[in-house]
Amino acid sequence: MKPKTIVVCIKQVPETNEVTIDPQTHNLDRRGLAGIMNPFDKNAVEQALQLADQTPAKVVLLSMGPDDYAESLREGMAMGADAGYLLSDRAFAGADTLATGYVIAQAIKQIGEVDLVLFGRQAVDADTGQVGPIVAEFLHQPQITYAASLRLSGDNEITAERLLEDTKQTLVAQLPAVVTVRSELNTPRYPTPRNIQLSFEKPLTIWHHDDLDLDDSRLGQAGSPTIVTKVYEPKPTKRELTSLTGTPTEAASQLIKALKAHQLI
Amino acid sequence: MSKPELWVIAERRLDHVEPTTFQLLTKARQLAGDRFHTVAILFEATNDHLETELQPYAPDEIRIVRDDRFPTATDAEHADALAQLVAQYQPNSILFGATITGRSIAPRLQAKLLTGLTADCLDLRFDDETLVATKPSYGDNIMCEIICPDHRPQMATVRPNTFVAEPATGTAELTPVTVAFHPVERLQVKTATPVVNTATTVGDASRVVALGRGAANTATIDTATRLAEKLGGRIGVSRPLTDLDRFTHDDQIGQSGNTIHPDLILNFGISGAVQYLVGMQSAKTIVAVNSDSNAPIFDVADYGYVGDANAFMTALLAQFV
Amino acid sequence: MSSTTAAAEKLLLQMVDDYTEREISPQDMPMDQAGDFPEGFIQHLTDTGFLGIMLPQEFGGAGFGPEITASVLNHIARGNASTAVTLEGHFKTVDQILKFGTPALQKQLLPTANDRIFAFSMTEASGGSNPLGISSTATREGNHWVLNGDKIMITNGGLAAVYCVLVKTAPQELSVFVVDQDMPGFSFGKREDFIGLRGTPVGEIVMDHIIVDDDHLLGKLGDGGRIGDSAHDDARILMGAVLTGIMEHDLKIATDYAKERKAGQTPLTDLQVTHRKIADIAMRKETTKLLYQRADQLKAAGKPYSEEAAMAKAHGSRAAVSAGDDTLQILAGYGYSREYPVEHLIRDARAMEIAEGTVEKMRSAIAKAEFNK
Repeated sequence: MKPKTIVVCIKQVPETNEVTIDPQTHNLDRRGLAGIMNPFDKNAVEQALQLADQTPAKVVLLSMGPDDYAESLREGMAMGADAGYLLSDRAFAGADTLATGYVIAQAIKQIGEVDLVLFGRQAVDADTGQVGPIVAEFLHQPQITYAASLRLSGDNEITAERLLEDTKQTLVAQLPAVVTVRSELNTPRYPTPRNIQLSFEKPLTIWHHDDLDLDDSRLGQAGSPTIVTKVYEPKPTKRELTSLTGTPTEAASQLIKALKAHQLI
Repeated sequence: MSKPELWVIAERRLDHVEPTTFQLLTKARQLAGDRFHTVAILFEATNDHLETELQPYAPDEIRIVRDDRFPTATDAEHADALAQLVAQYQPNSILFGATITGRSIAPRLQAKLLTGLTADCLDLRFDDETLVATKPSYGDNIMCEIICPDHRPQMATVRPNTFVAEPATGTAELTPVTVAFHPVERLQVKTATPVVNTATTVGDASRVVALGRGAANTATIDTATRLAEKLGGRIGVSRPLTDLDRFTHDDQIGQSGNTIHPDLILNFGISGAVQYLVGMQSAKTIVAVNSDSNAPIFDVADYGYVGDANAFMTALLAQFV
Repeated sequence: MSSTTAAAEKLLLQMVDDYTEREISPQDMPMDQAGDFPEGFIQHLTDTGFLGIMLPQEFGGAGFGPEITASVLNHIARGNASTAVTLEGHFKTVDQILKFGTPALQKQLLPTANDRIFAFSMTEASGGSNPLGISSTATREGNHWVLNGDKIMITNGGLAAVYCVLVKTAPQELSVFVVDQDMPGFSFGKREDFIGLRGTPVGEIVMDHIIVDDDHLLGKLGDGGRIGDSAHDDARILMGAVLTGIMEHDLKIATDYAKERKAGQTPLTDLQVTHRKIADIAMRKETTKLLYQRADQLKAAGKPYSEEAAMAKAHGSRAAVSAGDDTLQILAGYGYSREYPVEHLIRDARAMEIAEGTVEKMRSAIAKAEFNK
């Protein structure tokens, strides 16, 4: 049996969500924020590695972004993935989910004979969770989103459980397919110190614009239907504060009176 | 010329309509005024009549697509059916609930239509016929306004409980429509079991006792539990307390957690990070108790007390009749 | 340093920080209360490959250098000092086998150092600072050595599987042999009930007629003193890293608290008494860090580092006790409470004024080195 090829799409995100807006430029101030692998994507990498324990498989990581995104790919390879591809080109910059999904789908076609594509549930910075289904559509493959468990159930078949808000589904898909995974489905392994060292001997390939078969009108800002017109820190609406004063007993009594007046108790 | 159409995709939840759909129908009416034609799109089995649940929210029109395969259709099959309807009616905008189902079908449809989709929105407005969607990022610390100027339809998924559903007067026109159902054989739903989920989320409660880092010890949590019972409400927590064994994501307020709008919220030991405040600021009455008089929570509160959370709660419990 | 090495070290510290935050820090208080590592804790640490960090790749390890190894212990100690000290005890022992072991001994033993903890044992109940005062012996019988004696106060004693033991091979001759817990005649004695570093077991081993071949001799006959000194030096550098981590933990607790609290209407961060304490903690932390890193640089460059290693430990241990004391004072009543970690950080630091040579002994060594300059 031919070994499977499993592609895991990962994104690098800032290590913290405590970002602010530069008051002068009104742009996001991300200075000094180190990049880490999107935590939800680690669940996808872990899932791929577990499938590779179940059947002979090559686990390939794929990411799009500037050259320093190689760090996240290396981290995934230190977890155990076999190879990494970084899609890095100025032409890809400024892409929204649609343009990102397009380039990733083209890269997956270029990798060739991919049996399964895995995504984390969403990126913790942009929080869209859209790229997985977009790639599935562009590849004309079935999708299973928010998988709560995933296993190979036949030579060319996967079975997943999917937890909707009030329903548990069992889905069976013929490969190739695209799956996005919930964070609850596994606990990602730590990269061991030895595997960290060995990861630097694994192949990490950077693909630029000319390495892929691309329609330029679908790239970057030009290929992105959406535009961000304003970025701001939410300012909660201020209210008129009535101070409760005195001892806790006195203050509690004032509150009870007020709540009764509003018929809240 | 006929009015541009604003669609709400009705989501099915077992044998009923998912409540976010009602919230979106209400918001759609408010957005539409007399400029847009509001349409609910409903997929159901031939003998279903879920439109009766939609009618009280009075969209201008309910388009009903009947096929016995829809209740168990997959994302791609739904997206395919929707794409046919879009081709036929050319809507201006389409709204989905940002539920698991909505967040799975919408991007698949987006890719078919090669248009823009804004995820998990917390606000919507129209500038002329351009939909301006407000989307949180970085765990709700940052808000982005996003438009899709040159592509139609404009699409958004909207976070559940962002808007309040209010029944309206008016009669929805019921229009049966047909699409070709294209089954995707390579993906089958083998079983679908209702999950008996008795656990409510904090988003369901009309009275919330919210606890933060400054009210995290066991004694305070126990007092708060008694207070919540007394109020007929529920405990909610800010992000740091989800690390404790007794709380889960279902209990969290703000930050990709639950946006809530209870009648009453009592905040204890919560200083008020932005994403938390945004998550609960639409509560009707907000009370804050914190030992730090400079805590941002006091800026958004109706009633505030500077002092110890547990002492205040104990005093409050003692005075309840 | 090559860019690959730098990238690997960055990734390693990122993993260590993540592991410390999620797996180690939450056990800091429970460990102190229970007086032991939690069930499965050391196994998980082992399975994640921590024991092999500085072991060369040819033995199945990761092959990281001494400086990054010290940094790893520093980062772990920010969350919990016991875990860092247990690794310190293992690393210093592995280091001596790398320095003094024959290729055959290394090939036989070191691949197992990824999965088993190694320990170095010198102290005996007779005490005293003269190593020749020990009574454990190795005597020649036929083609074998027979080991007898009782070793106490061993870091990781009872937890470790492999022990380097200092014994007398002649009345005036000290040598080091390697024994394994599975050897006939090997048994564990009592575990100490110490006031600090309470996760790390410190215990006793008893050797009752353990028979080993020549290949279990570390170095040559009579190398015992030299190997013991070398083990001390390597341990003292790593302890400097651990002590720096404890002070970083103090500093975080102290600054977090000061930023949140007020004395009357004045925030603690506006008070000069707070400034003085915070600045002192920060300076003690930084001087200790510079000392252990200096010793590590000399070690990496193949130069003598004994004096600098002694300084790192002698200065760092008192500095960390004082830093804990200042932190306690900033937190006042909370600092004195066992519900907060500050008091155990003081107890943890206090151990290192004694272990691997008392501060008095360090000062003598430093003074002698200065006289000889």
